[in-house]
Amino acid sequence: MSNQPDPAGEATSDASAPSETQLPSPDILEIETVYEALGHSRRRYLCYTLFEDTEWSLTDLATKIAAWENDIPEQAVTEDQREEVYVSLYHAHVPKLVDEGVITFDEATETITTADHAEQVLAALEGIGASLDSKQETHARSDMDEQEQ
Amino acid sequence: MSKSSDERKIAEDDPTNGVETHQTQVTQRHCEPNGQRELTTAIIYAIAEVEGVSPSELKSPPLYESVDVPAIEDAFFGPDVAGDSRQGVGTVEFQYTDYLVKVQSDGWIRVYEPTEADLS
Repeated sequence: MSNQPDPAGEATSDASAPSETQLPSPDILEIETVYEALGHSRRRYLCYTLFEDTEWSLTDLATKIAAWENDIPEQAVTEDQREEVYVSLYHAHVPKLVDEGVITFDEATETITTADHAEQVLAALEGIGASLDSKQETHARSDMDEQEQ
Repeated sequence: MSKSSDERKIAEDDPTNGVETHQTQVTQRHCEPNGQRELTTAIIYAIAEVEGVSPSELKSPPLYESVDVPAIEDAFFGPDVAGDSRQGVGTVEFQYTDYLVKVQSDGWIRVYEPTEADLS
């Protein structure tokens, strides 16, 4: 008799049949949007402003972000400081967030408004904000508190 | 701001015109890596200077439609490696409207404009 293995006698492995139910659900992949949206400090600042209001003019937004970044009151923001932020919002960060479905941008009025993915991104921002972005968080929070008073 | 009229010849790939296009440098500007000003802003300021408009008037199209500049910024000037800034040398170039923009890893931005070679 040969020593050939008998196929029928082979131990059947429990892991032999990959379960299709273990594939991640498509929803999980949307986390990409969150990372992309929050992957730059100016975009995080922008997203913080969405807690306060769901609609912003680009100029107001630029003023607010310039004030936060320079740690000065909004009234003290110079035209140069505002323009610098405005240009980077217009040419990079706003279109990126539009792409990710976080905001919409009306070119005629230069107004941004929250879109479908805003909720998801803001929830993530709220979660990570306290530990990773404490300075921004403090800025954004204290600003909101002032508004409430 | 130093300017130079450094002319470079770039062979035109487009087979429909066999004419070589000259690219003439029209401005250059330095963006301090990890400085206060973003690379996007520095590029737009440079192009606005060439066009003779204020940077906030330069609108169409958004630079984002050509390239994701903050991603380039991150690649060149991103987080330090083992406490030192990156030592690599490289250049990224892209087209924005009529301009060819080159960004070097040392922070130099150069803007070129095409000029027909055989107008003479």
